[in-house]
Amino acid sequence: MNSLEDLRRVVRRIEHARPPRPRPEPIEALVGGALEETERGPLLIVRREYALDHRHGGAALGSAFAAAPALLGMLTRQGLPAGDARRLLFLDTETTGLAGGTGTYAFLVGAGLVEGDRFVVRQFFMRDLDEEPALLAALAPLVAGAEGLVTYNGSGFDVPLLETRFVLARRRWPELWHLDLLAPARRVWGARFADCRLATLESEVLGLERENDVPGAMIPALYLDYLRRRHPGALPRVFTHNLIDVLSLVALTAWLARALGSPEECALAPEEYAGLGRLWERVDLERSLACYRRSLAQGLAGIEADRVRLRLAWWEKRCARWDAARQLWETAAGAAAFDPRPWEELAKLYEHRRRDFAAARRIVLEAIERADRAEIAERVRRDLGHRLARLERRLAAAR
Amino acid sequence: MLGEILDDLLTSPTTGPCITATRRFPARPAVPAPFPASLDARLAEALRARGIEQLYSHQARCWDLVDKGQHVVVVTPTASGKTLCYNLPVLQALLGAPDARVLYLFPTKALAQDQLAELETLARSLPELRMFTYDGDTPQDARRAVRARANLVLTNPDMLHSGILPHHTKWLNLFQNLRYVVVDELHAYRGVFGSHLANVLRRLKRICAHYGSAPQFVMASATIANPRELAERLIGESVEEVAESGAPTGEKVFLCYNPPVVNPELGIRAPYLGEAARLVARFLRRKIATIAFAQSRLATEVLLSTIKASVADKTGDAGIVRGYRGGYLPTRRRAVEQGLRAGEVLGVVSTSALELGVDIGHLDVAVLAGYPGTIASLWQQAGRAGRRSGPSAAILVATSAPLDQFMAAHPDYLFGTPPEHARVNPDNPFILVNHLKCAAFELPFANGETFGGADVRLHLAALEEEGLLHQAGGRWHWASETYPADHVSLRTVTTDNFLVIDTTARDEKQVKRRQIIAEVDWSSAFATIYPKAIYLIESEPYEVQALHFREDEEKVAYVKRVSVDYFTDAISAKGVWILRHLADHGGRAYRATQGEVLVAEKVVGFKKIKLGTLENVGSGDVELPQQEMQTTAAWLTIDPAILGRVSPSREELVDGLRAVTYLLHHLAPMFLLCDIRDLGSWLGDAAPATTASTVDTQQSTRRRLLEAERFNPTIYLYDSCAGGIGLAERVFEVIPELLARGLEVLRACPCRWGCPSCVGPVNEVGRRAKQTASAILSALRD
Repeated sequence: MNSLEDLRRVVRRIEHARPPRPRPEPIEALVGGALEETERGPLLIVRREYALDHRHGGAALGSAFAAAPALLGMLTRQGLPAGDARRLLFLDTETTGLAGGTGTYAFLVGAGLVEGDRFVVRQFFMRDLDEEPALLAALAPLVAGAEGLVTYNGSGFDVPLLETRFVLARRRWPELWHLDLLAPARRVWGARFADCRLATLESEVLGLERENDVPGAMIPALYLDYLRRRHPGALPRVFTHNLIDVLSLVALTAWLARALGSPEECALAPEEYAGLGRLWERVDLERSLACYRRSLAQGLAGIEADRVRLRLAWWEKRCARWDAARQLWETAAGAAAFDPRPWEELAKLYEHRRRDFAAARRIVLEAIERADRAEIAERVRRDLGHRLARLERRLAAAR
Repeated sequence: MLGEILDDLLTSPTTGPCITATRRFPARPAVPAPFPASLDARLAEALRARGIEQLYSHQARCWDLVDKGQHVVVVTPTASGKTLCYNLPVLQALLGAPDARVLYLFPTKALAQDQLAELETLARSLPELRMFTYDGDTPQDARRAVRARANLVLTNPDMLHSGILPHHTKWLNLFQNLRYVVVDELHAYRGVFGSHLANVLRRLKRICAHYGSAPQFVMASATIANPRELAERLIGESVEEVAESGAPTGEKVFLCYNPPVVNPELGIRAPYLGEAARLVARFLRRKIATIAFAQSRLATEVLLSTIKASVADKTGDAGIVRGYRGGYLPTRRRAVEQGLRAGEVLGVVSTSALELGVDIGHLDVAVLAGYPGTIASLWQQAGRAGRRSGPSAAILVATSAPLDQFMAAHPDYLFGTPPEHARVNPDNPFILVNHLKCAAFELPFANGETFGGADVRLHLAALEEEGLLHQAGGRWHWASETYPADHVSLRTVTTDNFLVIDTTARDEKQVKRRQIIAEVDWSSAFATIYPKAIYLIESEPYEVQALHFREDEEKVAYVKRVSVDYFTDAISAKGVWILRHLADHGGRAYRATQGEVLVAEKVVGFKKIKLGTLENVGSGDVELPQQEMQTTAAWLTIDPAILGRVSPSREELVDGLRAVTYLLHHLAPMFLLCDIRDLGSWLGDAAPATTASTVDTQQSTRRRLLEAERFNPTIYLYDSCAGGIGLAERVFEVIPELLARGLEVLRACPCRWGCPSCVGPVNEVGRRAKQTASAILSALRD
């Protein structure tokens, strides 16, 4: 019996008996979006609305929009005040790569803004690369109508990338006020956490845990795979990832505005006070120094504490509050790791202000001994040597 | 005074007989042309301020052609005012249209710097022109300003390829308004490098078309056989050629000098470097500005040190002569260039690094220590001497290599052979596909779109199958996370350089301070800065203490200043193994095969050679890892029965075959119009590559061939460039002619037992080698 033809029949019957694989549901159904018509063709848009008292992490979203424009301005590189916080566009992109350049596409753009009494997040998604014109057509009016952008690492990545896409499509990318939250986040938390990724801040600061999140590094591959196989696979999780990113932008803005405006309400850690001190420095020196002092008073320790002391001392010196400066330098000079700066400052203080050359000499001698022990750079030791020689001359002249 | 020395050379009984040929090139008067009527008055004023009252005819002709909208290539000698040919129309355009943009391409960063300085001098009195270099040395924070402000950008093909084109949206202004693209040193873009450039230019034009511009190309080249064809292949459009120079030149004499035979029995001539040094010193002592070209970095240093020893003044200062080569730090090179222009430096010894258009002013005499490998280089190097008025001279000092000896014996060949063709193959699939990836990254391909005229539908389909492109809406989009330009290098040379650090340097306060004194590229590091090597910089000896080459280390050689009277020459061991057969042909007597091979090299030791006398005064061992490369080769296997008929002695046969290998390797460049260094040769067996393949020195290879159970000696000629650039395929095609020419050369050579001009010096190949080689070649012909 078992001829090849027979066996083929057997195989066919086995195979056909299995129920057919279900066709994958189209992506729009899986992510709860709808195809909308743009001036450049149809586009999948997912729309989510939140009441302004919706809590994402500790605070209600709405508190971000109540922030004073000047406070938000303090967080930006240029320091210019924001326009109406209710007209800021919170923006995050998912891309086909991290390399940048003209061959990297932003396939999913999440954009959130206040509309009436709701916070509305739109997610624009290209089902294929030829839907980019539609995506840009949908995004352009939102960007053009916004008074500013809020992103996370947007000045280094998202904004230049979108600008590139706009230029390629012969569109103009407007010059907008831009708050890239990565910069203030680094100032406030850089010393406290191992990294400053948005997800880290969510769990450490906002008290949010993402469930079943897609690692950012996998996202390009997931989309490129979707393009080839036309199977949504894990893509819906990318939509969720993007949505949380946008909401976290709002929550983080709210947190920073609140910490700047009324820190006493926030139960801040000493490191956070130190970070706020740095944010205030450009705007309100006394408030900044108060934050620094507060961080030390709350027990800031280690290298970070000495950095704050030196910073604080520098300003105290500028304000000619010599005793305050001296105390800070003396504490910093006593630190376990040798740092020549407080020693130099103390030596200068005794030599030039108090004209107590003998005390200055004692300080320099001790500094040299510690520098030798710490095998510090030759240049530093040479400078200390010069200072010592000059003090010896002045002492000799005085005698 | 120059005339007197030349007369002395020609008539003295010691040097006269060595001069095998002389040629005189008469002076040519200037062919002036008035400033064009359309020349901007401000530009005319700027020219007058530099003492230029009129143009030369070629400059005026170039102006006219550019004015008519033609692409132009200018091919006129060194110092004929070539750069003004392109600078004039460019500056005119920028004066007339402040929005216009211009791009200059030079093969090296140093040339771009040079040209910027020249432009700035010319444009001193002109309204503000924003001219900047943009390359790997441009600081990150300055890049944005250059992109936004520059209306003239000077860069190199590598930067255009990986830094500008993939980010073309940031260069919107440049690409929308690109009026001219200037490509200088066009002749440098031949072979693989040229094929890459052609594709980079295809990408550039594609981006320009996207932004609605169509730049005009103005190019300049040294003399090659086919400048116009090269230009047309590179830019993919028809090009007008300007070849008649209207610049005046003084009279020039070219001498061919063959060092005297010092041992007729062994066919040994006096060392050519010593002879060249003597000639250079003779000119320098009479205050005649002289440039000497040597054919390798080591030869440059040895030549320099010999010259210095004989021109040093009473205080021992020999600063009137300097060295110049790749590997010197930029500051040192700038100092030498400056010294030459100012006349403080009278002599310079250089590798081909000074062949390019670096401005070093005018010199009187060029001494070429060894034939530079190509006729084009010969004239380029000889052209470094020459003034607009007054006589100059060039002297070729022949080495004992067969090619040099052939040139010395056949001056008609030397002076009559046209310069080489510069060949490029932009459609080479390996190169093309790499650039298609980059092009698709820059802009999606429309269905049916060609790439520089090439039909690329199949290439795009293949890239899609590999998952790199994705088709949507009738266009092929880049669909990968990678940045393709990062994986495509236009040059075979890697940028992974070794820093040479002097550990004995002291600063002005005598404090020990490590100082970088040179850079050595990866490919030559193992043969020049192995531990205990003497590394010469401007003939000052440094001994290498340690070489850090492991992947996880910073690539550094630590050296200390020493006082020795010798230099070191590496002894390397080598092996060639077959990876893949691709094609073969042949008859009863031999089989020629073309395929892929693994070439491994290793430095195992070094010889110490005394400076001055060049005698061998010792040796040492070196422990370094083996360096491997895959490349294409042609190989020749001879029927053992034929060999058996030639001689019963394996020893004789191996010597004879080694002689044939030497002969074929040295003759092949004439057929291929390439440099001998572009090809490697090896006499081995036909062993396939295995993991245990280890290298051998010449002696141990010989022993292995002699003792092998099965005698299958194989002659390999392979591409020196990893992966191959088509030379081996060409060798494979011409093997019958190559063998026939080899026999002719052997029969015509008057030596008795073999000499450097045919099968190699007898003391290297053995007494019977020439005869055996001749018998083998005769047997192959039958």
